Amino acid sequence: MAKRVLLICLMLLLNAKADVYHDACVTCHQYQPATLEKMFMLYLKTYSVELSFKVSLKEFLKKPTEKKSLIGSEFIRNFSVKDPTRLSDKELDEAINTYWDLYNPKKNLK
Amino acid sequence: MLVSKSKDTNLYRNSERRSLFRFLALYITLVMLLLLVLGMLHYRSHEALMLSNQRTLMLNHANKQYKAIKKLHNEEYPENRVYPRSSQFRSAIYDLSGKKIFSLLKHCPEHFGKDIYRISKSIHFLKTLDDNYYLGAKYLFIEMDEDFTWRREAIKEILLYGALALVVLGIFGLFFVRIFLRPMRDSITLLDNFIKDTTHELNTPISAILANIEMMDREQMGEKNEKKLVRINIAAKTVSHLYQDLTYLTLNHKRKSNDEWIDLKALIEDRVEYFSILATSKKVSFTLDLEASRLFIDGVKIARVVDNLISNAIKYNKRNGSIIITLRENYFIVEDTGIGIDAQKVNEIFERYRRFNSSEGGFGIGLNIVKSIINEYGLEITVHSLLKQGTTIKVEFPKNLKRKEEGVNNG
Repeated sequence: MAKRVLLICLMLLLNAKADVYHDACVTCHQYQPATLEKMFMLYLKTYSVELSFKVSLKEFLKKPTEKKSLIGSEFIRNFSVKDPTRLSDKELDEAINTYWDLYNPKKNLK
Repeated sequence: MLVSKSKDTNLYRNSERRSLFRFLALYITLVMLLLLVLGMLHYRSHEALMLSNQRTLMLNHANKQYKAIKKLHNEEYPENRVYPRSSQFRSAIYDLSGKKIFSLLKHCPEHFGKDIYRISKSIHFLKTLDDNYYLGAKYLFIEMDEDFTWRREAIKEILLYGALALVVLGIFGLFFVRIFLRPMRDSITLLDNFIKDTTHELNTPISAILANIEMMDREQMGEKNEKKLVRINIAAKTVSHLYQDLTYLTLNHKRKSNDEWIDLKALIEDRVEYFSILATSKKVSFTLDLEASRLFIDGVKIARVVDNLISNAIKYNKRNGSIIITLRENYFIVEDTGIGIDAQKVNEIFERYRRFNSSEGGFGIGLNIVKSIINEYGLEITVHSLLKQGTTIKVEFPKNLKRKEEGVNNG
């Protein structure tokens, strides 16, 4: 019984984390030309290491500028730079961690 | 009189042989060390050549793999998550901090700064990816199984040329050592030839002196003259003993042995009597503890052994000292109360021309003769000596010589 309760709690917790990522990121990006997959590969290609990836992404999302953006200048001219995130630091970390885990080649390559 | 070069004067006399072996051992060790270093350098050059050949091939593989990774990153991931593989090589990618992203390698990489190196039975090639870290990869490793043909060839060449060089340098070494030892050999040859030449001239006068001493009518002589005669007798016997040794050294030991049954008790008593005048002059007394013993041996040779042991016991004894001779069936012992020999030098006493006390006369050949006879008949000699206390020499007879005797007695 205790095991079941623990498992349900864990699933709820994971679901809650996934929700932050889903609600804050996927809902918008799924309709945009700059898909989350492409953005991930762009960040990965630029920063290589997990820590640099997460720090630079968090910094951009909190204070997005054209200079910090990795996306091409033509794209920014057409779509402008995104607005700063309204997520708290904690929520932002959760969302970025979910994002990293979802596409991290270290975990996903076979 | 000129004496032709004999076995005694050839290069391989003990002391020379020892010097030869020492020099050759040192020389060969140094040559082998040199060859080892050269062999290692040769091995390294083969290895470098092989790696150089492999570098081109593995660089092509690395470029091919890089393109496949780039394609996966740009066009396929995350829909396709299968890392590109090849049947010709194994590969791995590591991130900027050196952490593994994905690996198919058999061996973990050891160097992130070397472009190519050997590891266990494989070769690793490293391609560093700059600017764009596709799939997060900074380092791309290519691994291939090593072909050991180069190593077999290298070892074959090292062994072949090494052995050849060792033989050639060994011959040179032998040539050099002969040159280095020539002065020593020349001096020994000179000494040997001198001894041989002079020995032949000693016989007649010594025999004449000893015979005339025996024939002199001592009753007609005054006490003073008799003392002088005793001194002449001692001197003549000393020279005679030396003559016997020199004759043995130069001629007798080359003649065929005339083995016969020798009564050792009678022989020792006879030789003690012979040396008694010499012993008396030094106030050295004899104590004999002799039991019957017979030995199947050349009489002249066993007499040389006994004479030399007694002569040395007198020569190196103290005044008022004593000599104890013990004879048993299987051995005899000559013990003196003389100056003794340093324990560390006991092993050297049988070397020819080796003398530990220059105050006494002689050439240092007596114990060398003893040793050669001992070796010839398989006797065993043991020496115990304490400095300033005395020396004990024991000669044991081999069982086979005694068996011969038993066989004759029984027959």
